[in-house]
Amino acid sequence: MAASNLHKWATLPDPSPAELARAAEGDAQAFTLIVERYQGMVYSVAFNVLGNHTDAEDAAQEAFLRCYRKLPQFRSEATFSTWLFRLALSASVDYQRRERRRPEPVDVPDLVDEGSPDLGDGVTAATLAAALHDLPDDYRVPTVLRDIYGLPYQEIAEATSRPLGTVKVMVHRGRASLRLRLRAEGARSAAAHAGAGKRGAA
Amino acid sequence: MDCSYSRERINKFIDGELGYLEVAELQGHLSFCADCSAELAQMSEVRGALAAWGRLELAPSPGFAERVTAAVELEPAPGAARPFGRAVDDALGRLDETLGCIPLPGGHTIPVKNVIGWGLAAAAVVIGLERRHLRRSRELEPS
Repeated sequence: MAASNLHKWATLPDPSPAELARAAEGDAQAFTLIVERYQGMVYSVAFNVLGNHTDAEDAAQEAFLRCYRKLPQFRSEATFSTWLFRLALSASVDYQRRERRRPEPVDVPDLVDEGSPDLGDGVTAATLAAALHDLPDDYRVPTVLRDIYGLPYQEIAEATSRPLGTVKVMVHRGRASLRLRLRAEGARSAAAHAGAGKRGAA
Repeated sequence: MDCSYSRERINKFIDGELGYLEVAELQGHLSFCADCSAELAQMSEVRGALAAWGRLELAPSPGFAERVTAAVELEPAPGAARPFGRAVDDALGRLDETLGCIPLPGGHTIPVKNVIGWGLAAAAVVIGLERRHLRRSRELEPS
């Protein structure tokens, strides 16, 4: 699997076979430990696909319910985090196709780790979250799957039930929209800094 | 190479979909087209920012794990007897995983189980029509 951002979670220790067996037998406490460990990953995937907090939590909950129901089918050939990541992606894409998106003001959720929200080249997490939030669903979902999670175009076409050529066009347009948006934000922020500098000098 | 053509190629270049000669052609264009060079640089920045954003782990609201646990407790145990509908869904899902899909032009796919299902339905219709035809033939035969 080509999920470029999965490595972070792939380093999490998988639940032990005994923990998985207990959860698969219906031990809710054992399953809660799994939820607590992986909620950041599942919620992040859902937020990136859906673009708002409320829908992301609903889709993340759906992903965990699917995980619970399918636990007996989990085979240890894949790591647990890879398997759960796949469930989170499919639950989020299914949710996006099924439900009308809720209008919510853009908001950057809290980060699990203490880290710098600067994403390089002067782009902040808040700027990128706003730009992603404002992209139409048709552009955001394939762009997120391609450029954040590194899925091949063919797989995105299957997940979103769209023709391959259409998916490519949507990703290209999504990138172009983000580029224009981030450029405009950069210009606005530079102008604000220049204005502040002039006022300071005066 | 005009700029609209080159911009399409920039996306293909980013996706690693250009062949050696096409890359050379694009590089030739970029060497004298400042607009396209700037676009490639900005596209790379966007992809870098998206990759960095994807590495951030976002946190759901407090109490999320408890809410999921409460929903899970309403579910039957995963291995327990399940409602008929879900058991059928699971069986069809497993059938799809086993048989796979047939790729069609334009990036569409069609599950093999659907093709088999339509084939069986068509065969049933043909057999039914044939039997009806035979029955009518016998009725028309002089006794």
